[in-house]
Amino acid sequence: MTLHTDQIASRIKAGVLGMALAAPLALAGAAQAQTYPDPAQTLDWTIAFGPGGGNDIMARTIVEILNTYDLYPGNITLENRAGGSGAVGWGHLFGQAGSGYGISTTSGSFVTTPLQADLPWAPADFTPVALLATDDLVLVVAGDSEIQDIGQFIEFAKANPVNIGGTGTVNVDFIVPALFAQSAGFEFEYISFNSMADQTTALLSGAIDAMAGNPGEILGLIDSGDLRALAYSGNSTPEALAGVPTMAEAGHPIGVSMPRGLILPPDAPAEAQAFWIETMQRVVETPEWAAYIENNTLTPTFLFGEEFRTFLTETQNGFEEVLRSVGAIQ
Amino acid sequence: MRIVFLLAVLGGAIFYSYIAFFDLTFLTRTGRIGPGFFPRIVGATMIVMTLWAILDALRDRRAIAAGAAPGPNDTPPGIWRDAIILLVIVLCYAVLLRLFGGFVSTVIYLGVALFVFNPRRHLQNALIAVIFPGAVYLAFDRLLNANMPPALFTLPF
Amino acid sequence: MDIFSDLFMGLSIAITPMNMLYLLIGAVVGMIVGVIPGFGPSAGLAILLPLTFGMEPVGAIMMLAAIYYGSMYGGTITSILLNTPGESATVASTFDGYPLAKKGRAGPALVMQAVASFVGGTVGVLLITVLAPMFSQVSRSFGPPEYFLLALMGLLTLIVMIGSNWKLGVISALIGLALGTVGVDLETGQGRYTFGSAELIGGIYFIPIAIGLFGLGELFYAFYTGMHRAGEGTLVDYRKETRFWPTAQDYLSTRWTMVRGSILGFVVGVIPGAGATIASLMAYSAERSLSKTPENFGKGEMAGLVAPETANNAASSGAMVPLLTLGIPGSASTAVLLAAFMLWGLRPGPLFMEQNSELAWGLIASMYLGNIILLVINIFAIPLFVQIVKVPYRMLGPCIVVICALGTFTVNASFIEVWLMMGAAIVGFFMRMYGFSPAALVLALVLGPLAEQALRQTLTISRGSFDIFFERSASLSIIAVTIGLVVLLPLMGRCGARAKAGKKIEG
Repeated sequence: MTLHTDQIASRIKAGVLGMALAAPLALAGAAQAQTYPDPAQTLDWTIAFGPGGGNDIMARTIVEILNTYDLYPGNITLENRAGGSGAVGWGHLFGQAGSGYGISTTSGSFVTTPLQADLPWAPADFTPVALLATDDLVLVVAGDSEIQDIGQFIEFAKANPVNIGGTGTVNVDFIVPALFAQSAGFEFEYISFNSMADQTTALLSGAIDAMAGNPGEILGLIDSGDLRALAYSGNSTPEALAGVPTMAEAGHPIGVSMPRGLILPPDAPAEAQAFWIETMQRVVETPEWAAYIENNTLTPTFLFGEEFRTFLTETQNGFEEVLRSVGAIQ
Repeated sequence: MRIVFLLAVLGGAIFYSYIAFFDLTFLTRTGRIGPGFFPRIVGATMIVMTLWAILDALRDRRAIAAGAAPGPNDTPPGIWRDAIILLVIVLCYAVLLRLFGGFVSTVIYLGVALFVFNPRRHLQNALIAVIFPGAVYLAFDRLLNANMPPALFTLPF
Repeated sequence: MDIFSDLFMGLSIAITPMNMLYLLIGAVVGMIVGVIPGFGPSAGLAILLPLTFGMEPVGAIMMLAAIYYGSMYGGTITSILLNTPGESATVASTFDGYPLAKKGRAGPALVMQAVASFVGGTVGVLLITVLAPMFSQVSRSFGPPEYFLLALMGLLTLIVMIGSNWKLGVISALIGLALGTVGVDLETGQGRYTFGSAELIGGIYFIPIAIGLFGLGELFYAFYTGMHRAGEGTLVDYRKETRFWPTAQDYLSTRWTMVRGSILGFVVGVIPGAGATIASLMAYSAERSLSKTPENFGKGEMAGLVAPETANNAASSGAMVPLLTLGIPGSASTAVLLAAFMLWGLRPGPLFMEQNSELAWGLIASMYLGNIILLVINIFAIPLFVQIVKVPYRMLGPCIVVICALGTFTVNASFIEVWLMMGAAIVGFFMRMYGFSPAALVLALVLGPLAEQALRQTLTISRGSFDIFFERSASLSIIAVTIGLVVLLPLMGRCGARAKAGKKIEG
């Protein structure tokens, strides 16, 4: 078995320290040292999902950048606290209220899980650091479809009943086409799938007319002409989709996307928040971060501190409104 | 006992159907199959089938009471006491896991379980109760970097 | 032939000392994550993914793929020895694997599973090599109507799974269907039986139920029957153990099973979303309905072990087809592989094999080698694993509980799933005792949600009309095959029975 030795060392340290620090850490918030960060304190980085997922890769990328450029002086332990669509991990962070040494990355479930389950926390409860990027969607049709561009699609949808596929209902995959259709003035049936793979095969098999999906996973099919991209829901079209208009350019701005950001526990010390805002401003300047954005076809969008909190609240309200109107949530 | 288990299944089926009929809608607003469609069919069928099986079980019991030989569907003979002791220990283990985390609770659980089922071999039991959880911990936590149950409270030793 | 030059090129890339080392590491890790219950290939892949960041893409991807198919080998070992499926695709291997071990044939069963895995894996790679483009047409013709028909076909096989008491068998299947409805309803987003719990949003996960029903449930039952009070080596009566190697009869009687299992497994594996679990369950029920001695299934029939084993390995190869030819992952494990491709800046899709032919063919060639390595490792490791069953049950039993509980926890780090596993164990114990069918329960739990979702998607697409099933050529072919099987199989069975009856009269 191969394991990075530094990883073993940091884990062993975490194990020993964890025993001693677990109890005092929660109480330490009020009496936190004036200077942040204290290199003697271990930073407890929660990944609210299992290894290999989008959230996990983002967290590990950031930590690698922090290590490469020596942006954080202390030890960092990364812990996957998966379960309950993020409820377990973010619940753990919520329990560290007042501390500046707990941190976590957010993804779409950060907004949607609280809408689906009775949780003690809401996204706006956490201390916001920064929104770093958004996951946006591309609307695609099959390559053999007669529809060539978004204008033709809207016309087609007004004249014919269309089926649009996406992953899940309490998800941006449904919200984006719903808002787009509202704005463009057509109606559609939403077909909800379990995964991107299922909806892509359904589209290729001709069972549905179009789908909204994460561009990263289908770029290969778009390149080969098996799928045709019509419009992109983000603020600016990523390079890989050059030539595809954004929904705003098509005249129907959406303004909803999945936040990939960084949060601290509720009521974290102001120094901690300030430190992380400054640090993240440096992280997003690195070439490693640019490569991450490009490989995952994310839209780089920066909002820091309170602006991020406002963004979260607005996104959640937007979701809630649409979902309530279709009866997905009570 | 078979009847007791069937009654438990029946109870579950009734609860399941109750929610299916009262909380979940049969058809969606647009007239398609709704979230309650399948649960209602499954729940109702389950109630009917379980009642039928209970009738069968009652008939069998009466036949045995009347002196018939036990059929293939009857409870095989066995040691209820040991199965139930193990069950109780295992359930306690589940609670311990939540409280004291993977390693400590496994040591406690194995110690107790081996004390009960492998009596009078104290040294052997103590060794297994420490070495086995240690090996599992090394394999899961160190080698595979997998999740181990975290402790809610750390014991003072 | 072009294929051979491609394959040869792939081999030359795969056979470098470093790459062979990576392949070996992947195979061993795959075995390990397969053996540990709960810890399946997708978790193993995801955890090891970060360690490959600094590596060459070819070696890394060869290693990751080896973890995936290697876990199919490892997963069966605990299925046979402890009745605890190492991962979801090896649940069906417990049905006859464990009875075989109890009959004192643990050695032959383990060797046969290694051979069956090897055959399934190799036939799978062979089919990729030769027919990948053709099968990619299969993967892209599956929409909701086809998935519904596939699930329905699978559910039909429940008929052969429900065991001697049909009423209890039906109740078992209904419990599985009921459990399958828990979670957020895919179509409306409404929670069903979640009671506000975040852990239940995603539904009841298959692994804890399978581990509880089979592994721990069997353990309670073993204590009930007093296995722990007997002397040494009581799980398997070693005095009955005649030989370690399978008999010629074992190979001969299962040669067609291997062929059928490989092909069925590969085809199901090619369909995105169906995967190795469904493939192995379907192969088991198909084999049972084809068998001349269906009454021996579940009591230690070698064909009942070989069928799911070839199928799950062939399916893990099959799942590479949509990944390599379309960039569509067919399962959770191949989704992690896709993530790995993307991390290296590769762009999986229809052009992938042309643009990255060295990588693609290197991977395919490595799968031949990987299967050979795994077969060898297995044969050498089996005598070691067989030692497990020599441990007295009164000591082994409590340790199995630990493996089941911690193994369940590692998957999603969820205590609720550990408790669910234990609840399933209690239910499994009573089901075992009173003649219910845990196998029918798991089959229904896997296929029920697929059938329900696919039917509802289909009817939404067609605006409520059933005509859609007859308008799509893929659906029509599935309907034709199903009708063919339903009509032909009983006829064949009857002829077989008559032939047998005839023989009896003669004899």
